[in-house]
Amino acid sequence: MSGIEVKQRKPTVSAREKFVQAASSGKVLANKCLRCGNVVLETIYYCEKCFGNEFESVEFQGSGRTVTYTIQAVAPEGFEDAESYAWVVFKVDNAPFRLSGFLSGITSSKDLPIGTRVKVAGFHPKHGLILQKI
Amino acid sequence: MRDRVCVLGAGSSKYGKLNESIIEIALGASKDAIDSSGITPKDIQAGYVSNVFGVADKQVHMAPVILSNLGIPYVPGLTIESACGSGSVMFREAYANIAAGFYDCVLAVGAEKITHTGTTQSTTLFSYCSDFFFEGGNGASFPGLFASIARAYMTSYKANEEDLAAVAVKNHENGILNPKAHVRKKITIDDVLKSPVVASPLKLYDCCPFSDGASAVIMCNEQFAKKSGRPYVEVIGSGRGASPAAVQAREDITTIPSTVAAANQAYKMANITPKDIDFAEVHDCFTIAEIIDIEDLGFFPKGTAVNAVRTGATRRNGEIPINPSGGLKSKGHPIGATGIGQVVEVFEQFTGKAGEREIKDAQLALTHNFGATGASSAVHIFRKVE
Repeated sequence: MSGIEVKQRKPTVSAREKFVQAASSGKVLANKCLRCGNVVLETIYYCEKCFGNEFESVEFQGSGRTVTYTIQAVAPEGFEDAESYAWVVFKVDNAPFRLSGFLSGITSSKDLPIGTRVKVAGFHPKHGLILQKI
Repeated sequence: MRDRVCVLGAGSSKYGKLNESIIEIALGASKDAIDSSGITPKDIQAGYVSNVFGVADKQVHMAPVILSNLGIPYVPGLTIESACGSGSVMFREAYANIAAGFYDCVLAVGAEKITHTGTTQSTTLFSYCSDFFFEGGNGASFPGLFASIARAYMTSYKANEEDLAAVAVKNHENGILNPKAHVRKKITIDDVLKSPVVASPLKLYDCCPFSDGASAVIMCNEQFAKKSGRPYVEVIGSGRGASPAAVQAREDITTIPSTVAAANQAYKMANITPKDIDFAEVHDCFTIAEIIDIEDLGFFPKGTAVNAVRTGATRRNGEIPINPSGGLKSKGHPIGATGIGQVVEVFEQFTGKAGEREIKDAQLALTHNFGATGASSAVHIFRKVE
């Protein structure tokens, strides 16, 4: 023993990792600007309105309404194993932002009229933000 | 700004599936541009190169390699990447450096080689141009991203899949007349509608092809251009704009803010309005993109571009001819070259080299090119010099 105290550094959790952790339990993590009250996604580092960088963490239920989407007939690399799916943009309930994610089991536009309610169901290591119809 | 900026020469490879290396393709286009301008490489004081996927053909840091092989290894070069908008963003940097008086004459060359990687790998590489955490990483390909924009547009306005198809039909009509075009094939609305779905509502013929190719221009100040005694074109407006990188972050998914901002700057600098433009080369990577572009550029009010396309207003003999070259859709989309390829078309149109594609009596032209789903855009306006 040298007598020198070695402090264990706490592993830093990045903004994206925090976002993914929240998504894994069906939540959407965001930040409320302490200066102007604007709410931005956790992944954004400065307030888009006043450029402040001190925030209070806010968690939203991951539900919302479909704004637009596509059904990927030709799946990109990494998604070949996915059954027919949609990439969906949805407005998050009670939040001033939209989010996008992967929604499986969609084969035609009849399955997903604009306005359909969806929710975050987790975060998949290969398919990203997973959505479910409500 | 100190100096007026001109385009003195232009050259392009054929766009399509090419066998040569990316460097050979770029050198061929550069040589054509140099020869067409009447200069020699010793006149070139800087080289600007735009490219995205050089790594796929085992060459990055491309500018010094191109300049060395043109016999000017001691001329400084810069390679610029801005996804599908690389060419126009690079053109803007070259423009700014000439306008500021740093250089009298430069080479601007865009190049891409991608087809050898195959469709799956190309699709993956392109998806890296998206905001990958929210888009590519969640299963959206580029056709998928534009398909979601198309669905939003079709939901907001009276537009349908036939309207989108009409853009493809018109651009193929033009591309047939372009010997450098990748897909020189007449198509019908029915062909588009019956082509395989890639990402609904977009089908194969709503999408531009993956292309290899290079385009180059010689740019110089007005004094240099006049002294050359050669025909030239003047750049009278230049604008750059930006949008949130992810589609989800756009307040209105049916417009591209970077296009609007870049166009407003360019019109203001040129002291003209959209009505003064005689033809435009716009970024039609997908049919929906052209519909949105021609509204964002101010040629048609929001929600009405589909009527304009339906009634032939954007054809070569229409009110405002759009993409007389065939556009990305038919001419092809070698992404690092596309923005410069649009300038090549303007140069050919204004110097009597466009053949059957020529837009009669045109005096002012606009080029518009963006990166990814419009996260970055550049717009330039050109004047024919008699």
